Amino acid sequence: MRVDKNTAAAVLATALVFLGAYETQLFAQQSVRNEQWSVQVDNVEPGDVNLDPAFRVAIYENLMEELAKTNRFNQVFRSGDRNAVGRSALLILKTAVENYTPGSETRRAVTTVSGATKLKVRSQLCSPQGQVVWERTVGGDVRFFGSNLRATHNLARNVANSIKQSSLPQPAIPPSASGN
Amino acid sequence: MIKRLVMAKRKRVGRLLKSPSRTCLTLMVLFGTGLVGQTTNGAKSSASDAAARATHILGMGSISKGANGRLSLQEGSLQFQLDAGRDAKISIASIQNVFCSEQDRQVGGVPMALGQAATPFGGGRVIALFAHKKFDTLTVEYLDPNGGLHGAIFQLNEGQGQILRSQLQARGARSLELADQAARVSSSGVQQ
Repeated sequence: MRVDKNTAAAVLATALVFLGAYETQLFAQQSVRNEQWSVQVDNVEPGDVNLDPAFRVAIYENLMEELAKTNRFNQVFRSGDRNAVGRSALLILKTAVENYTPGSETRRAVTTVSGATKLKVRSQLCSPQGQVVWERTVGGDVRFFGSNLRATHNLARNVANSIKQSSLPQPAIPPSASGN
Repeated sequence: MIKRLVMAKRKRVGRLLKSPSRTCLTLMVLFGTGLVGQTTNGAKSSASDAAARATHILGMGSISKGANGRLSLQEGSLQFQLDAGRDAKISIASIQNVFCSEQDRQVGGVPMALGQAATPFGGGRVIALFAHKKFDTLTVEYLDPNGGLHGAIFQLNEGQGQILRSQLQARGARSLELADQAARVSSSGVQQ
């Protein structure tokens, strides 16, 4: 089977166009990544809610895990991490518990309709100067299967998804980084 | 034949009882063996008191969630030793808070849940009513070398969590409760 010269040229040209487009996309992704924020997850504030300390810690740890999964941030720092000090493009995630309904795994298994564990938190992304750049009230619950602590995993996943879907302002480039 | 054997044994016991020195020696040997046995048992129990069966819920990065192992206090650290052999440690000095709470959980996991769902005439609900167990949840907040806050949660058998928490506090782990008590004592001192 002989291939026409024109066809071969067309195929080659198409391949080159696709390759070029792919490289441009890669470059764009890289440049966006360079301008990304880092985030520091602050300790969860139970507020006036009588929250089991295990839930507070589980929310914090699950937030660390889920935020890292989003690839939205350059780095995810823990509360009090000295490596985060002095970073210019740093946001602080503050989480305050607004509502907590303790559930029961046994009640869920026996009745199906009752015994759900529900959590509702107010999450804020703040700049180091204290300016709120993103704010949402997010809930998480476990209704049928799973332990009560699973509500914290669902909540953290919802917070991370909510951040992923929203647009954050571009971080201000410090004068030293812009070359001035 | 049997009669002869029994008679011979009786004679030996009789000879032992007749001589007081032999009797004393025999009693001393028997008593001594008992004492040695007791000390070994005691040492074993005190060593195993520190290690409690636990399930890692979350927070120890190097260990997968739901891993089973033994939680113990060793040389200034809280050690979680996996059944497979690996271990992870938290320095007691780095612990900021220790909490213990009680949770009620369904036992049997996924197989039990499937079994309950497959049981006809709502029998699964009846099984669920009895297939639950109380556990202790030990929550530890600690700092890494960079000052970052970590939290680890372990599930232990009922009663074990409180013991481990007390042991941790006795070895110098910080706790909000202890801080509150100290604050109360100092404030009462100021008022007086």
